Amino acid sequence: MKRYDLIVIGAGLAGLMAARTAVEMGARVLIAGGGMGALTLFGNTIDVLGRIPPGEDIAEGMSGFIDSFPEHPYARTGWEGVEKALDAFQELFPPPYHFSGVTRGNCLLPTGAGTMRPTFLIPATMASGVGMMPASTLVVGFRGFKDFQAETVSLHLRCRGAVIPFPRYRMGGMTAPAIARLMEDHSFVERLGEEIYQRMEGERFIGLPAFFGLREPVAAMKTLEAATGARVFEISILPPSIPGMRIYNRFHERLLQRGTAFLMGTPVSEAIVKDGRCRGIIVKNAPLGAGYQADRFILATGRFLGGGLWAGIERIVEPLFHVPVAQPSRRGEWFKGRFFDPEAHPVSQAGVETAADLRPLNEKGGIFLENLWAAGSILAHHQSIEEKSREGIDIATGYMAARQALAS
Amino acid sequence: MDYKTEVVIIGGGATGAGIARDLALRGIPSILVERGDFTSGASGRNQGLLHSGARYAVYDPEAARECVAENRILRHIAPHCIEPTGGLFVSLPEDGFEFRGEFIRACENAGIETVSLSPREALALEPGINPLLIGAVQVPDGAIDPFTLVVENIRDAESRGAVVFTHTEATGFLRDGDGVAGVVVRDLLEKKEFTISASWVINAAGAWANRILALAGLSIPMSLSKGSMLITNTRLSQRVLNRCRPPASGDIIVPNSTVSILGTTSLRVDAVESFEVLPEEAAFLVYELSLLVPEIKSERFIRAYAGVRPLIRSGETDDDRSLSRGFSLIDHQKENGISGLVTIAGGKLITCRLMAEKTVDFLCEKMGLRAPCTTAEQRLPGAGIGRSLQDRLLHMRREIPAARQEILCDCELVPRDEVEAVLKEGKVRELRDILHRTRIAKGTCQGGFCVYRLLGMLNELRRERNRGDSNEILMDFLEERWRGIRPILWGTALKEEELIESIYKGLFNLSGELSGGQEAGERGRR
Repeated sequence: MKRYDLIVIGAGLAGLMAARTAVEMGARVLIAGGGMGALTLFGNTIDVLGRIPPGEDIAEGMSGFIDSFPEHPYARTGWEGVEKALDAFQELFPPPYHFSGVTRGNCLLPTGAGTMRPTFLIPATMASGVGMMPASTLVVGFRGFKDFQAETVSLHLRCRGAVIPFPRYRMGGMTAPAIARLMEDHSFVERLGEEIYQRMEGERFIGLPAFFGLREPVAAMKTLEAATGARVFEISILPPSIPGMRIYNRFHERLLQRGTAFLMGTPVSEAIVKDGRCRGIIVKNAPLGAGYQADRFILATGRFLGGGLWAGIERIVEPLFHVPVAQPSRRGEWFKGRFFDPEAHPVSQAGVETAADLRPLNEKGGIFLENLWAAGSILAHHQSIEEKSREGIDIATGYMAARQALAS
Repeated sequence: MDYKTEVVIIGGGATGAGIARDLALRGIPSILVERGDFTSGASGRNQGLLHSGARYAVYDPEAARECVAENRILRHIAPHCIEPTGGLFVSLPEDGFEFRGEFIRACENAGIETVSLSPREALALEPGINPLLIGAVQVPDGAIDPFTLVVENIRDAESRGAVVFTHTEATGFLRDGDGVAGVVVRDLLEKKEFTISASWVINAAGAWANRILALAGLSIPMSLSKGSMLITNTRLSQRVLNRCRPPASGDIIVPNSTVSILGTTSLRVDAVESFEVLPEEAAFLVYELSLLVPEIKSERFIRAYAGVRPLIRSGETDDDRSLSRGFSLIDHQKENGISGLVTIAGGKLITCRLMAEKTVDFLCEKMGLRAPCTTAEQRLPGAGIGRSLQDRLLHMRREIPAARQEILCDCELVPRDEVEAVLKEGKVRELRDILHRTRIAKGTCQGGFCVYRLLGMLNELRRERNRGDSNEILMDFLEERWRGIRPILWGTALKEEELIESIYKGLFNLSGELSGGQEAGERGRR
């Protein structure tokens, strides 16, 4: 049986970041994921703490935030930890498809609902959305592609909208991944640019659904800009997310180059624990089961959607290790009466509590297992959806968990 | 504009719609006003059970006999609204056989056909039943689609001259001495008031009957009983499953197309709009009905809802389940000296045609008209048109070209074409009317994906632009959706909820704090 320095359980952004960090430190790593996590559903830009108003310095905002929420995952990493981790993340994305911020603070990007949304780091294909001026913007949607409603976006952004047929393909059921593949074809993108150009009324910005291809999205963007003479940008759409898949693919490619083993598609079925340490994991893929051993383990299995947490009728559990889960006392208190209550639903604070070094705690407040760390959204006491902090928490805690684990 | 007619009907539930059709078939002009859309009350908030009468056989033989007769008639006039599933009354060890003997005898007396099954025979028919059962009785129960039934009644009435106003509330009566001479109504969407004068006003407002009567200073003795139900993500059984014991809470599962509906609870309430399902009610239904079908414990639920039953009080009883499910026709001239006003209340979905017949018979007698009722013989206009999933798929493949097969709702396979057809009919006044008339938002995701798409399509057709902001409509929809799913959020349903929250609060930032147009507009001006 092959033995690893570190096994990362979970292949979402937190798990990928942990694996990448460990590999850079020279470790032999196995990453085991049931799926690709929320990353490929909602990953577009890198949120760090969207609740800090644009224009304010995020480092300052973060320190005030940590003072107010001393149990938040960011209180474990501190701003310095976030910053270092973001640098490491950005290193993975050299131009042309790079991530950048506009200032030291948040900026606002248009969404698929025509709202503006605060975020921190933006991929090159979305950058022009920040400077977009509604009066000279055209938002284009496509007949047969239902996950981006251009007229809803334009109505709320107060700009012009158009819904046009796709060149070449007249089909009713187009999906973002299918279109992303078409966008790899230069002649298709050129035709698309011409079709858009014909509908323009002198606009200087063109907003399109985020489906500019998986491999060379910036090249597709440049082609469209050449055809239209306008600045072109991608706008986030209903899941799945093509920009999220680009992030996953980049990690996947680099980790494979560095010899990381990927075990994808089947969730880890069992953890072998003995004398206060995790010894290995078992992945059952009927009719076979395989065991994997390591010195250290990182739990980055996400929340309910990722399978890191499971809600029974009355209690929430962490199904793999049975790490205690901090949660409201009964189900009646999991949710607010209103969906859009200004405060987050209490259940979103549920999760795994850890020591300062991100090792999960047992019921008595001691270390749950000597060699187990936790990272990402499974951690307790954050409200990533409301705070707009999903990617920041994943990147910062994934980075920190790997460094802590390998330092042991 | 003010209107004049012979009869005004208040209420667009099963009873009101049935009366409109019956009047139209007898050539009497009428106008129906409904405060919301059709079936917004108990007619649309029930379990969709086509009673064989068995459930009432022991304790309410009269209601049982009505069910037997009406069941037969509905199968003839509205076969497209009915799924003749059959039903089982299952005895578990704790139920014993005591009730069962009485039950079989009572069914025989009411004319309900029964077949006694051994546990093995029952399990062969329904493998999901608790294998510890000690026996079962087969009865001719079924499932019914109340919305189609009501809409078809309305459609038939309209084709024969009846006039219908939805989203229009009765706010007062026109008086003529001691009598009522019509109603004052308010169009709730246009915010306009108008009057309808008529010789007769029929109060068919269901649980809201006393709210209407209060406009004339009257009331009738009525109890309101809330019943909560849960919808599963898959169909648990082919047949309706009941516990074979005295009717109680949490003892019946009704299959309906691709899902099953678990019911019900019975809680006395004071307010008509008591539609909240409590988390403990949901847990109670899951526990009780998992005794009947053990798989329920791990089943995924897609929604909880509640209806308020209007029960007419006549005797001295405090138990709502033992109150008669029969109906009352009240002539307010006889009762209160106010002429021109009739209330029809109580009853059940399955007896709506009979209630309409009795009401219109009464009016005809008062008017001195000799026009016999034909609603038991004349079939509804859509009878014979298939509406099953199979029928819809065949229609889609044959009738819609590939380029236009844009499926707005992936769960229930609703093509854009179908929505455009509904819009063309012109009866649609708001989002909910579209949701009512299609399968959109009725599947697993409960509109989590398709309503955004639908609103985008409406924006494109410029239909919603003067009806208000489509993101506000979307947020209102998500709030309403929340009321239905909050009680059942555990297991897989909670996973999906995290997805939906991540989309609307996260990705689309619809928290209401940053309005896109404003922010972008301000930046644009700078």
